[in-house]
Amino acid sequence: MFRKVLIANRGEIAVRLIRGCHELGITAVAIYSEADAESLHVRVADEAVCVGPAASTQSYLNIEAIINAAKSIAAEAIHPGYGFLAENADFARAVTAAGLKFIGPSAEAMELMGSKTSARRVAVESGVPIVPGTVDALNSFEEARKTAEEFGYPVMLKAAAGGGGKGMRLVTSSDELRSAFETAQTEAGAAFGDSALYLEKAIERPRHIEIQVFGDKHGNVVHLGERECSIQRRHQKVIEECPSPINDPELRRRMGEAAVKIGQTVNYTGAGTVEFLLSDATHEFYFLEMNTRLQVEHPVTELVTGLDLVREQFRVAAGERLSFTQDDVRWVGHAIECRIYAEDPSNNFFPSPGTITYLREPAGPGIRVDSGVANLSEVSIHYDPMIAKLAVWARTRDEAIERLRRALDEYQVSGITTTLPFFREVALDEEFVAGKLDTGFIARFNERRKVIEPPQEQLDLAMIAAAIDYSRHQQPVFVQGGNQIADGRWKMAGRQAGLRTWRKS
Amino acid sequence: MKLKAVIDDREEELTVQVDGGRVTAEIGDRVYDLELREPEPGSYLFFRDAEVLQCRVDKADGGFEVNLRGRKYAVTIIDPKRLRGGQDADRHHHGLTEITAPMPGKVVRVLIEAGASIEKGSGIVVVEAMKMQNKMKSPRAGVVAAITVKPGDTVNAGDVLAVVE
Repeated sequence: MFRKVLIANRGEIAVRLIRGCHELGITAVAIYSEADAESLHVRVADEAVCVGPAASTQSYLNIEAIINAAKSIAAEAIHPGYGFLAENADFARAVTAAGLKFIGPSAEAMELMGSKTSARRVAVESGVPIVPGTVDALNSFEEARKTAEEFGYPVMLKAAAGGGGKGMRLVTSSDELRSAFETAQTEAGAAFGDSALYLEKAIERPRHIEIQVFGDKHGNVVHLGERECSIQRRHQKVIEECPSPINDPELRRRMGEAAVKIGQTVNYTGAGTVEFLLSDATHEFYFLEMNTRLQVEHPVTELVTGLDLVREQFRVAAGERLSFTQDDVRWVGHAIECRIYAEDPSNNFFPSPGTITYLREPAGPGIRVDSGVANLSEVSIHYDPMIAKLAVWARTRDEAIERLRRALDEYQVSGITTTLPFFREVALDEEFVAGKLDTGFIARFNERRKVIEPPQEQLDLAMIAAAIDYSRHQQPVFVQGGNQIADGRWKMAGRQAGLRTWRKS
Repeated sequence: MKLKAVIDDREEELTVQVDGGRVTAEIGDRVYDLELREPEPGSYLFFRDAEVLQCRVDKADGGFEVNLRGRKYAVTIIDPKRLRGGQDADRHHHGLTEITAPMPGKVVRVLIEAGASIEKGSGIVVVEAMKMQNKMKSPRAGVVAAITVKPGDTVNAGDVLAVVE
């Protein structure tokens, strides 16, 4: 096993990976930008190296700086986490060329599956069905228009180099196409440095179900079952579950086998996820894409299978065999994860950066919090607004939902707006409780959503608490109007006396 | 002390009296008599008989953010004894609505011209922040009195993007 590993990431995933290192007795090295010197992931690391200024292009995406950091500190391997350089084949190659181990699949597998167009070819080769769409990138708007007419609306525009929902647009009619095409191109170019797009027929009311796969360097590829990730906003997941509320072992077996076939075709090693769209009506599934990294939502799989995916990643990268076989994998109970974003759910999930002035995270039975922030942490505009993940486990889905409601009520984040209130409402929603999920869930939820008026008494108590807090921090009235600073004991005593009188007034 | 408080766009007058471990309050015709404890700065624990009500209060945007029973409330306190507070209260009531940037970012597109009539929810300006393009919408119907930014402008949180009349 490695003695020292550099974690090329930040936030909650860096903290998660450092925990994995510590359990294996590995010295964990964090990297950080100038804006992140006091971040939680730096505080929990054994060693840390600054790799550049706040802008991620100059720090967390700076391949040269990161490899120099790893060499300077004598790390043996680099774990990229998710996002940033996790699916950058050039980075994987540079790591290997520097004589270090890259904790992830081979650069070749990453490249094959990283481009959505070549990934679709791999799926076809592996005998796995794909959504009808263009195999190659679109050359022009004109080509997009023709193809869209051919498939019939609705269609989906996607960034060829993409992931994470960026550069992705649903187009329901021909007059929306041009504006969607241009916006998707701009977003794709900004996010991935490659503005190539492709187009797919949109499946109506699809479930987004993905299969966790794992391969080692001894030819083993296994699957760890599915995750239901249908609840998405802007094509980014916000709630994930394992198993899917469909909970059909036969469907799991068929999808699992399809995912393993794809993994075998590309000699996949390490953790990967094969994403499918599943028609709710027919239970037919279509290959969507493969993510060649550890996923944000891996905790729900860990909770239900009892396996530690990060530990397995380290084992596999070090050349060891997977610690389990397909027959060893068991699924027990139900897990649900909510991604806590610094975003305003009542304003179209608009980012809400700022300082966390108070933080209280839930605990107790069946609760797992993977957090990247601490009290007084600064949520910066430079990085992804996800601050933490709350995952719960229980024997059944119903019990897991009850536990989720309890945990959400315990969770307090002050100073920034988060998606917590949204999750509290979803956890009480009838369709959610019934497990009727598809990727249109949030849009429908927002329409049927009834704003539950808080009781007058709670409003009153909030006002009373604010008034008391106001009085606690108030300058006495007599210094108001000027900017004089009270100095000296007499003035101080006078102020305090004034404050006492005023509080009673 | 007598104060005004704005919560949920409603203004209420309240009288709050803290005396040792007790707080008495009057809001309109509602009267509260509670036991008060402060386990840590900003945390206020009310007891009404056996019922426990924990409030967390933090400063936010010139007002207060109160967390209570899993809900978050924005409260603005207006102290009639203070001039500054009075001005804040006035700003709340005039007929112009400023559309402000909720966070730093870059203006990518302006969707409408000054003078145009708009519906509640109409997009006015597209701001890019945290790699996301976000449409800033009008919170009310009206006429666009001014657009104060142009594409390419960098804006800070709180900067006025447009004014709706």
